[in-house]
Amino acid sequence: MAAILEVDRIAKVFGGLHAVQDVSFDVGEKEIVSMIGPNGAGKTTAFNCITGLYPLTSGDIRFRGESLRRKPPHKITRLGITRTFQNIRLFSFMTAVDNVMVGEHCRMHAKVWDAVFRTPSERHEERDVEKRALDILRRLGIERYADAYARNLPYGLQRRLEIARALASNPSLLLLDEPAAGLNQREKRELMEVIATLREGGLTIFLIEHDMRVVMEISDRIVVLDHGEKIAEGAPQEVRKNPRVIEAYLGSGASQEMRST
Amino acid sequence: MPDSGVTAEAAPAPAPAVPTTPESTGEESRGIFWTIVVCGLVMVVCGWFLPWYVEEISNGVGYSPMDAVLSFTGVGTILIYVVAVAMVVLIAGLADDLYRRARHLAPRFTMQRAVLAAAGALATGAIAVLIGVLHEEPLFGSLDAYSFTDNAVWMTLTGFALCAFGYGFKPWIVRHPGIAFTAVAFAIGAAFPLIFNQAGDFVGWGARFAAIYILLALGLNVVVGFAGLLDLGYAAFFAIGAYTTASLAGQRYGLHLPFWVIIFLGAAIASLFGAVLGAPTLRLRGDYLAIVTLGFGEIIPDLATNNVFSATGGPNGLAADPAKFGGFNLGQLGAIPANTKFYFWLLIILVALVVVALRNVERSRLGRAWVAIREDEVAAAATGINTVSTKLLAFSIGASVSGFAGAFFGAMLGTVTPDNFQFAVSVTVLSTVVLGGIGSIAGVTVGAVVIAFVVNWIIPNAQQWMGTLGTTTGLTALGNFNVSQYVYILYGLILIGIMLLRPAGLLPSRARKVELTKGGTEEVLSEVEAS
Repeated sequence: MAAILEVDRIAKVFGGLHAVQDVSFDVGEKEIVSMIGPNGAGKTTAFNCITGLYPLTSGDIRFRGESLRRKPPHKITRLGITRTFQNIRLFSFMTAVDNVMVGEHCRMHAKVWDAVFRTPSERHEERDVEKRALDILRRLGIERYADAYARNLPYGLQRRLEIARALASNPSLLLLDEPAAGLNQREKRELMEVIATLREGGLTIFLIEHDMRVVMEISDRIVVLDHGEKIAEGAPQEVRKNPRVIEAYLGSGASQEMRST
Repeated sequence: MPDSGVTAEAAPAPAPAVPTTPESTGEESRGIFWTIVVCGLVMVVCGWFLPWYVEEISNGVGYSPMDAVLSFTGVGTILIYVVAVAMVVLIAGLADDLYRRARHLAPRFTMQRAVLAAAGALATGAIAVLIGVLHEEPLFGSLDAYSFTDNAVWMTLTGFALCAFGYGFKPWIVRHPGIAFTAVAFAIGAAFPLIFNQAGDFVGWGARFAAIYILLALGLNVVVGFAGLLDLGYAAFFAIGAYTTASLAGQRYGLHLPFWVIIFLGAAIASLFGAVLGAPTLRLRGDYLAIVTLGFGEIIPDLATNNVFSATGGPNGLAADPAKFGGFNLGQLGAIPANTKFYFWLLIILVALVVVALRNVERSRLGRAWVAIREDEVAAAATGINTVSTKLLAFSIGASVSGFAGAFFGAMLGTVTPDNFQFAVSVTVLSTVVLGGIGSIAGVTVGAVVIAFVVNWIIPNAQQWMGTLGTTTGLTALGNFNVSQYVYILYGLILIGIMLLRPAGLLPSRARKVELTKGGTEEVLSEVEAS
C-alpha cells in the first residue's frame, strides 16, 4: 500500500517543552490509522504540525511525496488534507450550509471583481457550491439543519457538521481529532458508520481517539504516542498487547501485573 | 452522562426552546415595518407643525394649521380636515398597536389605515396644487400662498406615503425586509432635498455629513463588521482620498483631472494604502492591530499638518476643483445654494453603488471567508482560507470606500484641510457602525444618519435653539444657558441609552442578534441535547 502521508522524524519544541520528538510513521492510501496516547502525549500537536498550524522544529512531513514543511495551512488544505478539531471549531454564527460552503472556499475561483459585479460565472459557481454543500449535508444526514446556525445544533450534529465542512474541500486525507469525544453510544455507532462509508468512498482517515472500542473496531493500524515519542505502532491486536502501551496508560508495574494474572 | 468536550461557560441559563430549525426572522422584519410606519408618522406630524414653526421665526409668513382647522372658512379646508383626521387616527392606531401588543393580540385595521394614509397623501397633494399652483386661496378662506410651505407639503406627503406603503404592503415587508428597507431608504434619500428645499443648510448637512458618514460607515463595516478587524485609524484613508482630489484636481500641481476619474482614483489609491498598511500589520490580532491602525490614523493628518514634502499645504490645506460635469460646474458646497441638492443626489447614487457592490461581496465566497475569519481564524485557515490575503482584501476594500468618500468630500468642499480627518472622525465612524448594528449594511446606514444628526446638526444648533426657545417662551434664562458645556454629555447619554436598549445595534445583522440575545446558552443546550 503506497504511503499517502509520510511523517519523517518530526519534532516540535515549545520553549523547553518537547511536545513531539523524533516521531515517524506512514499513513497508507485508503487506510484508517488511529493515533492514541495518554493526555499530553503530543497527539494534537502532531496534527497541528501536519496541517501547518505549527511550524515544525525539525523533521519533515510529506504528502504524496511533496514536503509540507513551511507550507501555510490553506495550501495544505488545497493539497488535500483537512481536519476537524478536538474542541469543535465551527463558525458558530454561520448557518450549517454556509459552514460547508466555506469548506469549499479553496475549490472556488471567483475573484473580488466577479463578486462585485455578480458575473454569470460567479453566480453559476455559487449555485453549484451551494448544491454540493447541501449534498454533503444530505450524505451526513443533517440537511434538515441546513439553515440553522451552527451553534444551535445539538453537540453530536456539530461534530458531524465539522466533518461535513472538512469534506467540502474534497480532501484525500481526513484528520479527525477525537471525533467521538462527548458522543453517546448511539452517536458513536453512527460516527463509525460515517467513517466506514467515507473510507469506502476512497478517503484515507487518520484520527486521534480516546475511546478504545472505537479505535479497536475501525482502525487498520494504530500509532501510540507517549510524552511526545512514538512508543508503538501496529495492528490493533498487537498494540493492545504491547507492554509499553499498557505501561503508558496504566503506569509502570501494570504490565507485569497483567502478565502475572 | 456524556463527557462533553465543550468548556462549560459560567453562564448557566434555563435552556430555551430548542432552536434547531431555521431561525425565525419575523422579529427583525417586523422591526423594518415599524421603522417605516413610525418614521412616516413622525414626518407627518413634523410636516403638520412646520408651517407653525415657520410663522414663529418668519414674522407671520405662513400660518398655524390649528387656525385653519378651528375656523372653517373655505371648501378647500375640508382637505385640511382630511389631513388632520388621518394624522390623528394613525397616531391613535399606533397607541392601539402598543396596547394590543402588550396583550399579545394581533394588530387590527391594517388595510383601513393604509387607505386613510393614502387619502391623507392625496389631500396633501391636492392642497399643494390648489394653493401653490392654481392659487385658489379663496377655497381656503384666510390662507395665503405661503400657507403650506412646500417643505411641509413634501414632508407630510412623504410621511403619508410611507404609512400607506407600510400598512398596505405589510405582509410583503415582513417577508422581504431587506428590499423594503432599501426601497424606502432610497425613496426618502431622493426626496430629502425636495422636502427641505427651503432649508438649504439642512440639505447641506445631508451631503456634507449624513451621506459622507454613510459611505464611511459602509466601508468601515467591511473591516470591523464583516472581517472583525478593529480599525481605529479609518479617517486616514478618508484623508488620503481627499488629498488625492486636491493633488490631482487642484491648483497645487496644476492638474485638473475630471471629477469622475478622480473619485475612482481616490478609491484606488486609498485601497493601495490599505494594502500597504495591512501587509505588515494584519498578522497582529485584536487589540494590537487596533493600536497600529490608531497610530496610522494619527500619522496621516500629522503629515498633512506638517506639510511634508510641501505636498499638503500644511494646516491651511489645499484647494480642490469642485465637481464639474462637462460645462456644468457645481461649485463648492454652499457657494451656489441651488446646487447643494445635486451634490446630495450624486452622493445618494454613489451610496447605492457602494451598497450594491458590498452586498454582492458579502454574499460571495469572499464575504463568507471574512465571516469565517471573524468567527474562528484558526479554523478558517485549516478550512483552506488564506487568512492573510483575505484580511488584506477586507482592509483594502474598506479603505477604498473611505478613499472614495474622501475624494468626493474634497471636491465637494473645495478645500482639504487636515482638521477634517482627526481621530474624532475615526471614533465617530466606529460608533456609527456599532450603534447601527455591526455587520448590517442597513444598520450602519441608519446609524450614520442618527450619529450625523446628533453630532453635526443638533449639537451645533442646540445653543441657537435654546435662544429661540427662550425668546418665544419669554424665559430669557433659557437663552443664556450654555448648552455647549452639556451637549457631549447628551451625546454620551444617547449612545449609552441606545446600546443598553438595543445592544446589537439599531438594525442588527441576523447573526449578531442571535449572538447577543441567546448568548451563553448554547453550551448548556448542546449538553442537554447530547444526553
